[in-house]
Amino acid sequence: MTEAATPIPATPAGGHRPAFRLGRFIERIALIFVWILLIAAFGAAMPQAFLNWGNFSIMFASYAPAAVLALAIIVPLTAGDYDLSVGATLTLSSGLIGVLNVWHQMPIGLVLVIAIGVGALVGMVNALFIIYFRIPSLVVTLGTTSLMTGIVQWMTNSSTIGGIDNALVMAVVGGRLFGVPYAFYYAMIVVVAMWYVFDYTPLGRKLLFVGRGREVARLNGIAVDHVRFGALVTSGVLASAAGIIYAGVLGSADPYSGLNFLLPAFAAAFLGATTILPGRFNPWGAIVAVYFLATGITGLTMLGIPLWVTNVFNGGALILAVTISQLTRGREATDIG
Amino acid sequence: MIRHVLGATLVAGAVMAGFTATASADAAADGLAAAKAKLQKYTEKPVFVAPGEAFDAKACAAGKKQLSIPNSSANPFLKGIIDRMKKVGAEVGLEVKEWENQGQPSQWVQGVEYAIRDKYDIIDLISGIDPSTIEPQVKAAKDAGVKVMTSHFYDPSDKQNPLVSSSLTIGFGEIGTVLANWSTVATEGKANILLIVSDEVPPTKPLVAGLKSELAANCPDCKIVQEVNVGVTEWGTKIQPSVQAALQANPDINVVIPIYDSMSQFVVPAVRLTGKTGQVKVATFNGTPFVLDYIQQGTVDMDIGESLDWIAYATIDGHLRDLCGLPVPSALNVPFYIFDKNNAAEAGTPANYDQGYGDAYVEGFRKLWKLQ
Repeated sequence: MTEAATPIPATPAGGHRPAFRLGRFIERIALIFVWILLIAAFGAAMPQAFLNWGNFSIMFASYAPAAVLALAIIVPLTAGDYDLSVGATLTLSSGLIGVLNVWHQMPIGLVLVIAIGVGALVGMVNALFIIYFRIPSLVVTLGTTSLMTGIVQWMTNSSTIGGIDNALVMAVVGGRLFGVPYAFYYAMIVVVAMWYVFDYTPLGRKLLFVGRGREVARLNGIAVDHVRFGALVTSGVLASAAGIIYAGVLGSADPYSGLNFLLPAFAAAFLGATTILPGRFNPWGAIVAVYFLATGITGLTMLGIPLWVTNVFNGGALILAVTISQLTRGREATDIG
Repeated sequence: MIRHVLGATLVAGAVMAGFTATASADAAADGLAAAKAKLQKYTEKPVFVAPGEAFDAKACAAGKKQLSIPNSSANPFLKGIIDRMKKVGAEVGLEVKEWENQGQPSQWVQGVEYAIRDKYDIIDLISGIDPSTIEPQVKAAKDAGVKVMTSHFYDPSDKQNPLVSSSLTIGFGEIGTVLANWSTVATEGKANILLIVSDEVPPTKPLVAGLKSELAANCPDCKIVQEVNVGVTEWGTKIQPSVQAALQANPDINVVIPIYDSMSQFVVPAVRLTGKTGQVKVATFNGTPFVLDYIQQGTVDMDIGESLDWIAYATIDGHLRDLCGLPVPSALNVPFYIFDKNNAAEAGTPANYDQGYGDAYVEGFRKLWKLQ
């Protein structure tokens, strides 16, 4: 796989004219441009409150769990599998931290290792049914979501657990670098690592090939099942890591709230696939999308606009961005979804 | 002449302004004093007040059955009430069973139909099930001779569904007044409030109405800076960013009131991240244990609680009175009690649902029911 070091164009290569490249460039940066416009608009409306570093640093940190969750799902999505269980895995991870650390007084370091291990286990269980028993990923991960939700309710007695070790809270939101709590940098570490693996390693190429055409990949000698297995385990581990950050941001754990991150995370993943490398799930795109949506919610809330508007904004932004992206590429068939 | 008139007008204006300022200062001081006086009873250990005449509860309950349908069995508050009702029911011979459900109206319908088929005497709709959402079944139950009662759901100002036999109301409006008066006192009459509500939950309306009217009555200088409505399913994703944004946009906010205390799980990190811990006070309602722990840790300032065990006794008492044709109290009459940093430790560390309220009611009800 020596070709791995060469980035694969998002669409089949050949026949590109300069005008087309310009169009593609605009497409790549369109969301970032709209994001800047959005910041400028909110900044003009509220120069004092919105345009200050404190506001952005808090936004960067508090959306870190959502960012890591969006990154978790693009791994199996790139390999062609849906993982709907990431929200439940996040909840399971934060719930485990609450139960083991607060109720059973286990040291936080050990608890975090267990949480990551359980995330990997969830990925393996998903992989077993998806790859070995050949059940569609949508069905399996929907099932494991329900299964985990029930287990978390049982485990936590359906109650919120406060008082998680302050060391975790300090490590996630206590310490700051350039005024931004550490939580954001954890998400950045994941982005950089994923960007490197996706774009500069043979593994990243294999992942993409498997997602684009399993049979073709298999005929090319790629161990398709191993790649899909690895992708599902990675998403389990990353979702668990998102749960750790979530528990650190809140300082508590509850059996329900984490489940609500699933749809925004998927929205960010798909929205992210319209930017940076349009047509491909990509980590930088996902991060831009998460913080684009976060900026919208923060700005609208600051303006005192009712929260239902934020749902309209999220949904509208997603549909609009994906549609524009499709139109600029001449409505070519997409490999996503 | 003109100068004289002008001078006189200016003097009169100054005097009027002085009067107005004094009058407004007087109103603020009077309001503060009134708020303090009204808060007093909620800071004292609750005392038992008999909800009616004594009666022979054992004779009344003999051979009778009650099916309790909670809004959702996943809610530990409601589960706690029902578990205690089973215990209290056993003391007097009333069989209490829970219809386990996950908050789906279709499951409530099944529960009512089960109670009719199995010849229950009482169907108890607890906290959150509006009888109007399952009206055909409530009517069928009534026609079959099963009494449908509600508890911990209606505010006294609500209009009760006519098919319901009796309702033990809870003063959500009263809770609103306690939150308003506490904010007034805690800020010496200068509260700038961020209010977090969930409009789709029925108690929100009377609670917020009580809060606003009491604030208007006792605190002329207080204001609700922003009111944020977050649906229950979105608490986890929307409350924290909303509170952060509101605190950033309005640095003069000095009180945050998440009206249901489970919301404070997301308010506390927002206050912490914005660096406002200690500057912004958090006041709330429900008495959920983890929030009482927050008070002990200094991240929440006040929580209004009710004893689950007391609610269980009061519910059984009210329902038995209805079943046996006695006058039924219109309210649960379970007192509200303020937990703050002075008494939060009484709820236990970690806190429990029933600790800290005293146990005056146990003996009270047992005497009332002629058990001792």
